[in-house]
Amino acid sequence: MFLWKGDSCRYNACTFLEESPSYFQLTREYHEIKDQALEICPEYAVVYKHKSTAYLKTGDFVGWKKLIDQAVDLYPEENLDYRGWCRFQFFRDYQGAIDDIERLEDLVDYDIGFCQNGDYHLVIAKGLCYKMIGENEKAIEIIQGQIERDPSSVGLYDYLHLGVLYLENGEYDKALEAFSEQKKYYELAECLYYEAMVFKKLEQQAAYETSVQKAHALYTDSQHMIDTYTHHVDKVYLAEIEAELAQMDR
Amino acid sequence: MIKRIAAFTSLTFLLLAICGSCQTSKDVSQTYPRMIGDISHDTALDDPSFELCNDESKAVQYYALNSIFGDKPFVQEKYEVERIFEENYDSSVAAKESGLIRIRFLVNCEGQAGRFRVLGMDEAYNEKEFDTTITDQLLTISKKSLAFKPCKTDKGQADYYMYIIFKIKDGAIVEILP
Repeated sequence: MFLWKGDSCRYNACTFLEESPSYFQLTREYHEIKDQALEICPEYAVVYKHKSTAYLKTGDFVGWKKLIDQAVDLYPEENLDYRGWCRFQFFRDYQGAIDDIERLEDLVDYDIGFCQNGDYHLVIAKGLCYKMIGENEKAIEIIQGQIERDPSSVGLYDYLHLGVLYLENGEYDKALEAFSEQKKYYELAECLYYEAMVFKKLEQQAAYETSVQKAHALYTDSQHMIDTYTHHVDKVYLAEIEAELAQMDR
Repeated sequence: MIKRIAAFTSLTFLLLAICGSCQTSKDVSQTYPRMIGDISHDTALDDPSFELCNDESKAVQYYALNSIFGDKPFVQEKYEVERIFEENYDSSVAAKESGLIRIRFLVNCEGQAGRFRVLGMDEAYNEKEFDTTITDQLLTISKKSLAFKPCKTDKGQADYYMYIIFKIKDGAIVEILP
């Protein structure tokens, strides 16, 4: 057996799970098997995490938090990323997400990696949380810093969010620069919509109209932000683009 | 020797019986519903005219239908859902409470919603029963003003579970999910 504390019981529980049949994560059978694994090894953190997901996806914040807290208490280095990200994505608990991500940054000396669905590096997610609690300057510093520090890990929407932050700050040249970079990664309706908003502020009517029309074309072609479970920060809806089109027609 | 084997066998059966009765008395199947988040019909709470198209064991989760709906199953986009609550929810009469409120319900294959259930939490994720000046408004607006996409395709029809989460700050709605 293993000498490291807890390894033997985790090994036994893992073997039990590997030999058990697989079920969909919301089913009674799935949870009964996981409970049996926890009877073998109550300190097997990942099992609490796996059980928590069913509660997360059904919007049961109370049930989810009780389980994911147990995973974090047992193995914070492995579970703070997931708890922090889910607090943001599913429950818009911005401060809770910031606290978890910053605790993880303090705890480990390696790159903290990407969020669960792969859309963002966790540092970018942290930046978005600062934006959502009204700390735009800090959000820009974090997002810009992460992009410069590791250009190879720029995510699908990083420049879009950076551009929107500059737009909100009234720094229109920087916003346009960010949207231009975003188009190199993924030209989506949101990017063109916010670009149009910059041109509107700058009173460049022709450019504004071109961008709104492109945003509409991209949206109707399904080239827009879609999150399987919730919605992204800075998401734009068709009704908002159509409202701009209607203004143009007046 | 035979007596010893017989005694051992009896003991084994006895232990198995005890073990079996332990498992029965524990009956973990009582702990969980068929699926986490399932909502059983409750005659005291539910509209008797609300019916599912299929057996309720076949109801799916909203996110399983993204490829059919394109996005969330609101007939109005989420943008319109937010406008509906902005126009109809009156925070001035609501208790000054904060936290999250989830309203979970079923949508049948015709797009009709029923079996609404409320779950609340405070800002520390502790279960909380919000004042009815908040929850009654949210329930009434959800039942009367929201429309959901029916799930009927060439391959069949489906009932599905949906939920809406309201982030509440001092009685006001500050965000709506999902």
